[in-house]
Amino acid sequence: MLTTVTLTLLEGLLTTLELFALTLLLALPLGLVISFGSMSTFAPLRYLMKTIVWVIRGTPLMIQILIIFYGPGLLFGLPLLPRFTAALVSFAINYACYFSEIYRGGIQSVPQGQYEAGQVLGMTRSQIFFRITLLQVIKRIVPPMSNEFITLVKDTALVRVISVYEIIWMGETFIKKGMIWPLFYTAVFYLVVNGILTLLFGWVEQKLDYFK
Amino acid sequence: MKRKLLALILALGLMGSLAACSGGAPGGAAATPAPAGTPAAQTGAPEAGGDQQADDSDLAYVKDKGTLIVGMTDFAPMDYKAEGSDEWIGFDADMAKAFAESLGVQVEFLELGNWDTKAIELETRAIDVVWNGMTLTEEVRSLMSVSEPYCLNGQVVVLPKDKAADYTTVESLSDLSFAVENGSAGAEQLDELNISYTATQNQAAALMEVASGASDACVIDLLMAGAMIGEGTSYPDLTYTVQLNSEEYGVGFRQGSDMTDAFNNFWKEAYAAGTVMETATTYGVQESVLEP
Repeated sequence: MLTTVTLTLLEGLLTTLELFALTLLLALPLGLVISFGSMSTFAPLRYLMKTIVWVIRGTPLMIQILIIFYGPGLLFGLPLLPRFTAALVSFAINYACYFSEIYRGGIQSVPQGQYEAGQVLGMTRSQIFFRITLLQVIKRIVPPMSNEFITLVKDTALVRVISVYEIIWMGETFIKKGMIWPLFYTAVFYLVVNGILTLLFGWVEQKLDYFK
Repeated sequence: MKRKLLALILALGLMGSLAACSGGAPGGAAATPAPAGTPAAQTGAPEAGGDQQADDSDLAYVKDKGTLIVGMTDFAPMDYKAEGSDEWIGFDADMAKAFAESLGVQVEFLELGNWDTKAIELETRAIDVVWNGMTLTEEVRSLMSVSEPYCLNGQVVVLPKDKAADYTTVESLSDLSFAVENGSAGAEQLDELNISYTATQNQAAALMEVASGASDACVIDLLMAGAMIGEGTSYPDLTYTVQLNSEEYGVGFRQGSDMTDAFNNFWKEAYAAGTVMETATTYGVQESVLEP
């Protein structure tokens, strides 16, 4: 029985991990774009980005998933996105907004004097960003990012509201067969994944041990 | 000041669009042109759009698409998977396969993560039919185009065989301790009778309560009782006595769909040909099937 349950749960874990990895792939760069927008000197863009971040961070992710999946069909009669894609889009937008604020914090934590020093040396704005700011930003955002990564692993459980069969959903199917323990057992899988992530982040932090 | 105003307008605009989304009632999309879907990979969601087709016929849409997506949940004996198998079987599942075959399309089962969104799944064309031992309530009738009832169901009291003779009337039930699925039709019946009970997560758990002796009796679907208790099942010592109410099962299609007529015709023919009763006997629900 344990083997059957483990295999079924692993099948769900695959979907969970796929969603996790693809979300990061999309949200990490998108978050940087949003953070630049929210620091822009062009006011309308800045307000637009801040408003988007406010709405996305201020509403439940579960509602966003439901709106992105059912919304196009209900409002405009359009064909729906495939379930997994709709889930991925919701997660990418949601997490990009959280990441953008972490990026912004990292970028703004670099003292103004360093920009000025760069300018004195005749560097362009992009040179200053890539050669002076970026490495310091990466080092500083690692701890808050590790929080978000770990939260993301667990948030993927929400996609079962649109019938994407992730690990919790797989665990719940056993309740009908009179077994509750497979659902509790899913916690072990989350714990292992997040354990690996924790080790990985510890290692990254060590590697980034420059600029003491 | 201008900037603040702009920000406020943008914020209101976004909020407005979000409110419109969440408030959108199913049915708004009913009259829109039918998009032909192509099967999508991954989680088995084939609702990705293909070429547009201005035909209003739902039947033509499904035939053109080549797949009938059946929305259901794991619910023995109607839809379930045999131990170690990946194929959906059951009275509803087998008949759905036959129906798809009669239309000349592939069948695809989509296990709904959330039974409450079944009408929205239909309207948005995420699925084409709800076919899963669905009780025809007023609510269901108002949200979908439903078929003729094909099966009779009801809530029955299940208890150990040796006690059954003492509890054959509704009045005699009050001194039994009950287990029943939380929020189910059975729980509703007990509420009406003012009988208290232990709420369980599902009907299977309620049965286990009785089998283990934790409760004296439980209330479950007649169909489920027919298939899951008595001789030759995992619960040979249980039986059912009092039937508390009567319900009818039907199949649900999109509002205004011509699939409903196609289904009713298919069912009459299948019944005449003996397929319906044959399938019903396989799954132990033959006593509940209605003559069309």
